[in-house]
Amino acid sequence: MTPTEQLVTRLPNDIGGLEAGRIQQTDHPLEPWEKRCHALADVLDYHKIISTEEKRRGVESLGGKMVGELTYYERWIVAFANILFQKGVLTPDDLAKKMEEIAARWKG
Amino acid sequence: MDAHDHHHDHTATAAPQTEAPPGYYETMETALRELLVEKKLIGAGEIRRQIEVLDSRTPALGAKVVARAWVDPDFRRRLLANGRTACEQDFGISFYDDTELIVLENTEKVHNLVVCTLCSCYPRPVLGLPPDWYKQKAYRARAVRDPRAVLAEFGTIIPDDVEIRVSDSTAVVRFLVLPRRPEGTENFSEEELTALVTRDSMIGVVPVQLQTGILS
Repeated sequence: MTPTEQLVTRLPNDIGGLEAGRIQQTDHPLEPWEKRCHALADVLDYHKIISTEEKRRGVESLGGKMVGELTYYERWIVAFANILFQKGVLTPDDLAKKMEEIAARWKG
Repeated sequence: MDAHDHHHDHTATAAPQTEAPPGYYETMETALRELLVEKKLIGAGEIRRQIEVLDSRTPALGAKVVARAWVDPDFRRRLLANGRTACEQDFGISFYDDTELIVLENTEKVHNLVVCTLCSCYPRPVLGLPPDWYKQKAYRARAVRDPRAVLAEFGTIIPDDVEIRVSDSTAVVRFLVLPRRPEGTENFSEEELTALVTRDSMIGVVPVQLQTGILS
């Protein structure tokens, strides 16, 4: 298979059966925001705003570079933002303004 | 990325001025949550309540299910027929993520291993959240191609005449391994058996072992 064919048949999440190194048997307790992010995923799924499958696809469509470099819950939250934009629930502008507002709370 | 270097709780109330500001992704999480609440798409208390649900799910729950299956043949039969229904009916475990649960029984001839090659699907209602290694590339990539080597890295050597079955989870179908009951536990109570069952044994990477010294 040529390298470009690989790109078509193997999306970033589809890694079952690939070569990989030793398993790092690590674990960490979730950061508070990571746990909130997880709870948000469950609540979005419960309300049928973003399903688990849509979330997985949303992470995949971040592309290989982001999938490779963002941490697990960083990928989730960025995917949620993109999906909410696509569904017309929020606009990028809504999010940018809210993030500025939150950042400003810390400057007081 | 410095947001990951600190460990404090922002969930409480207003931002304490002495702490470092949240990082980019944490700010994004807070922003999305607040916007969704403002638009009344989710309730203000729902995230908090779901965190309580998440905190209530640990491998101790799965261990109770396994020990019951070891001592109660009728429950075992129902658990293998429909894992979700048996857990709901006998333990009152809610499947908040609306997933099905298939319980895979280890025997003398079959050893089961659970993975999610595409992401991190996991039987959260009965085990809680998955360990980091379950979500990382090495385990997901190799479990389906070379499970014996993966198991060996966990210190588990499966004889060649035992078949290894690897089950790949999906968004709606989750798996729980019913490990073999260790020999020498014939006189154990259900509670004593529960204490032996570990998270990793229910993922299938290790057997349940009779640890010495834990019971008087």
